[in-house]
Amino acid sequence: MNKAISTRLTFAVAILSLLIFIIIWQVIAQQGLLVKNFPGSFKTIGSLIWWVSDPFFDNGPNDLGIGTNLLISLRRVLIGYSLAVLVAIPLGVLMGMSKLAQSSLNPYVQLLKPVSPLAWLPVGLFVFRNSEITGIFVIFITSIWPTLINTAFGVASINPDYLRVSKSLGASKSITIRRVILPAIMPNILAGMRISMGTAWLVIVAAEMLLGTGIGYFIWNEWNNLSLENIFVAIIIIGFTGFILDQFFGFLQDKFDYSI
Amino acid sequence: MIKKSSKTSNSNKNYSHLELVNLGKIFFKEKKFLDFRAKGIKGGFEAIKDINLKIEKNKFVSIIGPSGCGKSTLLNLIAGLQTPTAGKILIDGYSIKGPGPDRGVIFQNYALMPWLTTIQNIEFALNTVFPAKTKPDIKERARKYLSMVGLEKASNKFPKELSGGMKQRVAIARALSINPNMLLMDEPFGALDALTRSYLQDELLSIWRKNKVTVVLITHSIEEALLLSDKIVLMSSGPSATISEEISVDLERPRDRQKIEQDPNYLKIKLRLEKHLLRETRAVEEVS
Repeated sequence: MNKAISTRLTFAVAILSLLIFIIIWQVIAQQGLLVKNFPGSFKTIGSLIWWVSDPFFDNGPNDLGIGTNLLISLRRVLIGYSLAVLVAIPLGVLMGMSKLAQSSLNPYVQLLKPVSPLAWLPVGLFVFRNSEITGIFVIFITSIWPTLINTAFGVASINPDYLRVSKSLGASKSITIRRVILPAIMPNILAGMRISMGTAWLVIVAAEMLLGTGIGYFIWNEWNNLSLENIFVAIIIIGFTGFILDQFFGFLQDKFDYSI
Repeated sequence: MIKKSSKTSNSNKNYSHLELVNLGKIFFKEKKFLDFRAKGIKGGFEAIKDINLKIEKNKFVSIIGPSGCGKSTLLNLIAGLQTPTAGKILIDGYSIKGPGPDRGVIFQNYALMPWLTTIQNIEFALNTVFPAKTKPDIKERARKYLSMVGLEKASNKFPKELSGGMKQRVAIARALSINPNMLLMDEPFGALDALTRSYLQDELLSIWRKNKVTVVLITHSIEEALLLSDKIVLMSSGPSATISEEISVDLERPRDRQKIEQDPNYLKIKLRLEKHLLRETRAVEEVS
């Protein structure tokens, strides 16, 4: 009962704060307090409704529905991200298990990790001569580091008791990896994958401004149209999509939370 | 109750079940890449040395000693989890090469896999040791051992839903399910409260009576050693710890924890153990 009231109250407060925000935004825009022609919340909401009511139209690459653009971006992210995870997990396990792999690969990881993935964009364009593959490549580079580092750390800090049990039973290396190490480090892998996904979703918007099509290009296109309210629509949709993706990983992390 | 597998049939009657010959273990500091500090350190830390011990089949032997005397190192060596730097370990006359399913190991912190249910934890051990067995066979065997420790109702629970005592019972079931000839226990009840500990000690005794395995128990509790063992092995304080005495416990079985404390023989051994442990502990504490 008490809990039900508190959730309802939280919801009411959230709605109220949203309403206040919308009103203040509208007032500031209408009075021209920020800059001239700054779109108000009413105009933005109107655009949002217009874009969302018919999200999948296709009138050529410079006039795509927002849903179509969103799906293009999501597709690039999911392909690049999945490839990165497929590489990062085995490589991370290897780095966590073998001192040789750790000392030979770690310098590259440490050197490349702090580089903005966008720096790879020209390299991708030069090598692949294709903007689609380049986008996927940039997302791949973006996504690989957090998952790789978390996986390697998870293996290196695994509870030695699990390994001792496995060893005392005479388990082979392959059984130990598949049935002990991988499940044991699932929380680390998922934490890494969550960070990877968050970064990939940040980077795709910037990359697409340079590559064409997708939600990032939509923003660039609307800037050329000087349609700021459409850019706000894109920001809302990007934020909402990122939130859903993040919540999905939060849900998975709860599933694999072994803590007592 | 459990039919012994053929692996013991070639054992020679002249051999003890477990024999430790001049066993020693020195831990060398691993020199890390680019670690200049390690350069100056010579040699290593000698945990145990010159351990000679014979344990007969189906006996219950406790190893007791002051903390830091290398008891756990000794058990890890017998389990094959670590390799000795001197001497050898013979089981039925054969030198061991590493860990094996002929020895079931029980750890102080239960070491259950938290992502597996209790029955899955046992099934993991069975699948590893008997890869040829069918799924229903494995399931049935796991269930049998879970009910042996009275936990058939908890088969689908995860370790985090169990009490410490229940977790250790699952670990005991897991260790016995692979049908070992020897059970190696590293302070298995050290983390439990006194009542649960007594309960599990009784449980262990009845399991041991029925299953007929050789037990090597590491403990720091004199009462526990006296209640359970046929023989108590006393270790000196480390480093370079060794066996200082072996005491036979000729108390009648089954032992009752209340009655046994009245036995003059019990009190005599207990006094001897206390004296020894106090002396060795003093040696440890006053050095450091």
